[in-house]
Amino acid sequence: MKAFFSGVGVILSLELRQRVRTTSWYILLAVFVGLIFMVTVLLSFALSGFGSDDNGAGGIFSTIIYFVLLLGTLVAPALSGNAINGDRDAGTLATTQVTLITTGQLIMGKFLSAWVTALAFLAAAIPFLVYSALVGQLRASTILVSIVILALELGVVAAVGVGLSGLLSRPLFSIVVTYLVVAALSVGTLIAFGLGGLALQTTATRTSSYALEYDSAGAPTACSAPESYEYQTPRFDLFWGALASNPYVILADAVPTTYDTNGQPTDLFGYFKLGTRMAQTAPDLEGGYNECVVGEREQYPDSPSAREVIDSTTPSWAVGLAVHLALAGGLLAGAWSRTKTPAAQLSRGSRIA
Amino acid sequence: MLSRMVSTELLHTAPEPAGIVVENVGRSFGNVHAVRDASFVADPGTVTGLIGPNGSGKTTLMLMLGSLLQPDAGSIRIAGHDPVTETAAVRSRLGWMPDVLGSWSTISVRDTLIYTARMYAMDKTTAAGRAAELIALVDLGELADSPTRVLSRGQKQRLSLARALVHDPSVLLLDEPASGLDPVARAHLRTLVRRLASEGKTLLVSSHVLSELDEMADGAVYLSKGVTASAEALARSRATARPWRIRSSDAVALRAALVAEGIEEAAIATDRTELIVALEGEAAASALLARLVGAGVAISTFAPAVGDLEHAFIDLSTEDNK
Repeated sequence: MKAFFSGVGVILSLELRQRVRTTSWYILLAVFVGLIFMVTVLLSFALSGFGSDDNGAGGIFSTIIYFVLLLGTLVAPALSGNAINGDRDAGTLATTQVTLITTGQLIMGKFLSAWVTALAFLAAAIPFLVYSALVGQLRASTILVSIVILALELGVVAAVGVGLSGLLSRPLFSIVVTYLVVAALSVGTLIAFGLGGLALQTTATRTSSYALEYDSAGAPTACSAPESYEYQTPRFDLFWGALASNPYVILADAVPTTYDTNGQPTDLFGYFKLGTRMAQTAPDLEGGYNECVVGEREQYPDSPSAREVIDSTTPSWAVGLAVHLALAGGLLAGAWSRTKTPAAQLSRGSRIA
Repeated sequence: MLSRMVSTELLHTAPEPAGIVVENVGRSFGNVHAVRDASFVADPGTVTGLIGPNGSGKTTLMLMLGSLLQPDAGSIRIAGHDPVTETAAVRSRLGWMPDVLGSWSTISVRDTLIYTARMYAMDKTTAAGRAAELIALVDLGELADSPTRVLSRGQKQRLSLARALVHDPSVLLLDEPASGLDPVARAHLRTLVRRLASEGKTLLVSSHVLSELDEMADGAVYLSKGVTASAEALARSRATARPWRIRSSDAVALRAALVAEGIEEAAIATDRTELIVALEGEAAASALLARLVGAGVAISTFAPAVGDLEHAFIDLSTEDNK
């Protein structure tokens, strides 16, 4: 085990020295910090207009975290998407493979290096996160969980990039496919959720009767005969898994929510979380709440509060993160089996040395 | 039709567990049969040349020997171990210098060697010591701390050789080691290759520069269309007539003497100041030389016009095409 990690360490150190000692990497980092700085300043002005003191900063904080996630997932594929096939093109893969470094050590080292490189961007963003957290008087758990989820998501993108660079032979192609995977997770899941839910409509039946006459206390004295009617209702509950796989949803859902006295969330993430959780509940297909009973005042059932909805549903961040980790692990395993030597099979037109 | 086998020099030596032993190895990619049937033995302490026309399967064979590609058929033993089932044992004993000159472009020469040494599980101090030795060995001292992207082709070639030697392997595979080297570096390479062989290492050298191989190889494996040439084919090639180059200060007298020896006038080719005649075997050449000297012709050069390997190469290539 120790020998395994010492081999991983050699690859990690070699990869980091090759990446981090380039001017372009520092320029990219500077551009990244500049963008976050601008967004923080602009949002501070824009949201202070709303007046309410803590909602403003909570909003800034949520938005900055999302912005870090956006930029991080845009940068990470470029850092990892040619890790293996780029080496093959440069003629340095085979010379590593003939040493005692195993394929597992090679892939693990390259993945860790891509992840660490992406984490540098997160580290550069931390001052801005801390600033908005301080101004917004957010709880430490919120900041901590956000940073952990951001770090994990950057790791997933790094793993997808390294995995695809092992599975596909052309560097440009694997970088583009990595971007497409990021796009599929960030935007594609929303489209799948929306379109899927709308396309799969189910017929729901509602039976209702209404009061014809009331007594002085407001209770019905005569009711109409129950009438049934059918209508179509979208089935978003069948597609909540797609929504749960969205990195932005995972981030919002994982952060512990604070509630006000009415049980409503106090920040942007909390409302996203509420929306995600409500999508899990199947629509009531047979029922009508507006039943009329002679002598009883009509009672509208209490709709559950945000806190009740959130507490009673599956934590979708765990589901989404599990999907992401399975995707990342699967692609790394695929890269391992394609890069393993002595190679049994070679893809068409590829040269192993 | 060529059957399997070996160069004659190696045929009668008893195969030892060390060195390289290849038996009936084949490898195809889809319906392209890159290597059909390769068999040879390379013994410790010898340098074996691997020669063959472009596309004959040399690189595929090298990759299989280098533990990067699995053979479809046959067996390979490197220093007594199977590259497929005992990969780590093979890799710790095998040095491979590829024909593709890849290097980590932003890493210095010294660090390239240190990183390679650490990939062979050496600790940092040992790795640094080994890197310093190898830099001196391949004469890259002035460039030791420059990034490898500034190296010329020949310098990269020397770095690649040093990298193959990092873990002091007992078997070395050198793919086109001389290409891009200047004459001085070539002479160094030749000396180094011979020295490594004298230390008991097994070397397999693939090269297109046949005269180069002639000077350093003890034997050769000839590969054509994925099949190693048979001993009979090599023996036959040795016996076929090959051109000899004869120079005399008096070309007219030489030509007259040759005609007097029974060589047809039309069979004597002229190349600048030299005459070229086809002779069958070394014995015929010695006899002719003795008679020419006896006849008083002033001979200044009497040598084969092409090297042994080149002769075999051309002879077997043309035989294939028949």
